[in-house]
Amino acid sequence: MFEVPWSDYSDPLWQGLLHTVEYTVLGFCGAAVLGLVLALMRLSHLRMVRFPSALYTEVFKNIPLLAIIFITYFGLTSVGLKMGALEAGALSLVVFYAAYLSEIFRSALAGVHDGQRESAHALGMSRLGTLTHVIFPQALRLALPGTNTFLVDLLKSTSLLVTISAAELMTQAQLITSDTFRALEVYVVIAAVYFALCYPLSQALLWLERKVRAGAALTPGRRRRLRKARVMLASETTS
Amino acid sequence: MKLTKAGSGPEKPADAVPADPVPATAADPAGRPSTEPPEGPAVVRISGLSKSFDGRLVLDDIDLEIRAGEIVSLLGSSGGGKSTLLRCVNLLERPDRATIELAGEPVFSGDRAVYRDLAELRQRVGMVFQRFHLFPHLTAIENVVLAQMKAAKVSEDQALETAVQLLRRVGVDHRALAFPEQMSGGEQQRVAIARALALRPAVLLFDEPTSALDPESTREVLRVIRGLAEYGMTMAIVTHEVPFAREISDRIAFLDGGRIIEQGTPEEVLDDPQEARTQAFLASYEGSGR
Repeated sequence: MFEVPWSDYSDPLWQGLLHTVEYTVLGFCGAAVLGLVLALMRLSHLRMVRFPSALYTEVFKNIPLLAIIFITYFGLTSVGLKMGALEAGALSLVVFYAAYLSEIFRSALAGVHDGQRESAHALGMSRLGTLTHVIFPQALRLALPGTNTFLVDLLKSTSLLVTISAAELMTQAQLITSDTFRALEVYVVIAAVYFALCYPLSQALLWLERKVRAGAALTPGRRRRLRKARVMLASETTS
Repeated sequence: MKLTKAGSGPEKPADAVPADPVPATAADPAGRPSTEPPEGPAVVRISGLSKSFDGRLVLDDIDLEIRAGEIVSLLGSSGGGKSTLLRCVNLLERPDRATIELAGEPVFSGDRAVYRDLAELRQRVGMVFQRFHLFPHLTAIENVVLAQMKAAKVSEDQALETAVQLLRRVGVDHRALAFPEQMSGGEQQRVAIARALALRPAVLLFDEPTSALDPESTREVLRVIRGLAEYGMTMAIVTHEVPFAREISDRIAFLDGGRIIEQGTPEEVLDDPQEARTQAFLASYEGSGR
């Protein structure tokens, strides 16, 4: 049944895998940062700050990713903006997924009860301190499930970059197919590789979600603080 | 309105406000706070405070002074502006117009805040909310530690030590590593009190601290507030617990329609109310001792 000499293709496959991971990391990190900025803009009380963010989100949520990829890679060339496949591919993923992530972040931030901000302010915490130590950690809990879904979705969507020969897994698959004419075998194997990437990733994210929801100390600082607290509480009760 | 209160009892020293309001134990064996009106300096001085929401006047030219060591209860029917008044003290609500001084320093004048550092100011005014508002992502002890470290820049060890002491003082040290959702309402509110005390505020504001609690939890929380009173903590309490207000307060101010229509000692206001609105309000509270 397997007639493709896979050992001959281990190198391109490995390259494809690395590129897929590269696009995923670049795309997700960029989208998360841009999405957070958009979400914060959306929560501003200034209309002129809110509006561009809302406009952006609505525009990019309502056009297909493939159209964005073609516009950045093929379209922008005609106005003198020439990008390589890596830049164009990563940028497309960023602008597209930022729109979705901004919606998730916005609802997560808005989902943190207003009393939290008030009580932090009443305790004399600064606006920035309130945001970083009170609002963000709670918004993270709310945002994780949706964010995780989109991270896995983004990884799978990197396969659309085959259309601009981005050298990721799907592009390699296409090359191997044209070499061997064994489309079924090649694409089934490639699908299995995607599954092998996505399934552990989503399981790991679920695990993280549960940890965060349970309030587990994920930073070294918090772990140390809780360790000290345990020691203090134990010693003071015996004294 | 004079603040004279009949009765005897141990004289509260003039310097009743402790330099350090965070002792390991509240040791005063006296059953209730001194019945002498505190003579300390004004910790909170508000004059001419007005506040409206969407054109509706909720506070109308309020004057209120809270002296060091004094316990003032704000009574009145819902919507009378009690909570809003409390929230104006630490500028969680911004008055339309007021003069506010905290510990002798002007913080609000005319229609704007004049104190340069609002965050620093708020550390001196502790606040306890009706719905606790503990940080749900942190354990009880971390709730008490957070603002100490991030706002008051206390070292981690010092902050933890203070937190342990305070949690013990309010009787929830055995729950120090629990998350808010794992605690009863009474436990949460006591952690919230410890959290506010941790910043060593000059005055503690309670916004209906027992309204969201069952009777058992209410008793726990009132016991803690009573302990603070014995210690000489300056407090302003918005409450519906009329008997408690009578027991603990040096002074009761009755708010109605955005104005303080009557104030004085608990005996004056609760036993011999002069205003019809006050009488009607008290009549609706069974067991208020009228």
